[in-house]
Amino acid sequence: MTEKNTQQIEMTPVEEVYAKRKKIYPRQVTGLFASFRFTGVLVLLGIYYLGPFLQWNGRQAILFDLPARKFYIFEWIFWPQDFIYLAALLIIAAIALFLVTALAGRVWCGYACPQTVWTEAFLWIERKVEGSRSSQMKLDKAGWSWAKFRLKFTKHFLWLAFSLLTGFVFVGWFTPITELTERTLSFELGPWEFFWIIFYGFATYGNAGWMREQVCMYMCPYARFQSAMFDKNTLVISYDEKRGEPRGSRKKGADYEAEGKGACVDCSLCVQVCPTGIDIRDGLQYQCIGCAACVDVCNEVMDKMGYEKNLVSYTTENALSGKKESFFRPRVTIYIVLLSVITIALLGSIAQRVPLGLDIIRDRSSLYRETDEGLIENVYTLKVMNMDLKDHRYSLAVGGIEDLRIKKPKKGILVEAGTVVTYPIRIQVNPDNLKTASTELIFYLNALDDDAISIEVDGRFLGPVFK
Amino acid sequence: MPGKNNSVPKVQRFVAILWPSFVVSGIATVLFFTAFDPDEVIGCVGGWDISRMGYYSVGFFLFWLLTSLNSVLTCYFLKPCSKS
Repeated sequence: MTEKNTQQIEMTPVEEVYAKRKKIYPRQVTGLFASFRFTGVLVLLGIYYLGPFLQWNGRQAILFDLPARKFYIFEWIFWPQDFIYLAALLIIAAIALFLVTALAGRVWCGYACPQTVWTEAFLWIERKVEGSRSSQMKLDKAGWSWAKFRLKFTKHFLWLAFSLLTGFVFVGWFTPITELTERTLSFELGPWEFFWIIFYGFATYGNAGWMREQVCMYMCPYARFQSAMFDKNTLVISYDEKRGEPRGSRKKGADYEAEGKGACVDCSLCVQVCPTGIDIRDGLQYQCIGCAACVDVCNEVMDKMGYEKNLVSYTTENALSGKKESFFRPRVTIYIVLLSVITIALLGSIAQRVPLGLDIIRDRSSLYRETDEGLIENVYTLKVMNMDLKDHRYSLAVGGIEDLRIKKPKKGILVEAGTVVTYPIRIQVNPDNLKTASTELIFYLNALDDDAISIEVDGRFLGPVFK
Repeated sequence: MPGKNNSVPKVQRFVAILWPSFVVSGIATVLFFTAFDPDEVIGCVGGWDISRMGYYSVGFFLFWLLTSLNSVLTCYFLKPCSKS
């Protein structure tokens, strides 16, 4: 957004923030962008509520199994060791958000943000129970009566039920949902599962039912810094002041230009539909989440009046001032390049990932031990992680010091799919072969049935210094 | 600001303390428990008999306590000293 607006945020007296707010009753809107959002909400809620029930090879297809410390995503299993992939994924998501913001403004806010999606769902329930905008306002103004109580009770009951379902599914992304369902139905939920269902449910109810636009205005970090990604070619929702002003009511079919008026009929519908309660005709404001409800409703009015559409529309600052628009600006190019590089690197490294992990832990009780034969012995505990989907037997080899003796398992180390086996080994070395107090060892591990699955890990062998 | 400070609604002050600390403690929890498996860490020193989920949750709230303490102190020091 413009410099002026960022300043406005800072200049606004603090009292306004979280001040006792006037409840906003967004009027229902139909139109092109409303149907985009409706479709988006349906798809996203569908993914959220049905996603955990998706099955893959007899298990939950996508499961961020926190209790077992494993993430299942279709064919892949990720371990805490794979944290780098998660970090890369988050970076990709962030840059993608920057790119989209630079190109199309706050489309994330208007269509895909969970806050918007769940608020839409809650508004839908509210409208089903309490009726349209005007009947909601009338109901809230009226004194308490049995009828009002019944409506309010029904609304909050439905909201709470929906929130609890949301909390339940939330936990289902992190712990197997079929078992979670069984435990819920038989009232055998673990205390923490129960707690998080309530916690997340309560957060949903509070955010989508009560806080709504305040979350965007006061709590969302993205809303505060998104203006940094904006430039004069970014899509914003804007009112065409030149065409609209001076606004005023008129009779249908009247020659408004002769009356000295602009195209805006001052019906105030754009204000009524706004979920954050602003007037788009006052210019670009930081509260605008780019939902385009005002575009839809204004186009409807323009149609009825027989005027040209897009008095309020998605446009760019350059288009409004009649300048040339450009798509590939430096920032857009930089975002695209960064995004492609990191995405390719991530996919490449996942494709090359060896589903085998080896941790080498030295025995902590003693540095080394001298055997009766005069050899130096170090003891290690190996932790072999089979991150593959099937069982493997691995052969172990150790190098780095000449003539080292090691007691190896003859048939290799068997590790079942997705498990860890700890395996103690003793390595004995002739002290003549040790040149320093600490010598590097290399542990080689490879699957007997698959040559591609092999890793090498460095370790240290400690001994006395003779020189 | 000093005179006006009282006019800041209480709710805002609570949110300004609890919300950022909530976000940061979420990040801290993820990083901490990615690096340390509570079952292993606690296994070494002996601990309560609760599940990993329990340790994660307790860890999250401990982090939240610490980070909100941080926010409280920031808010406290933001208040200008009284000029005598």
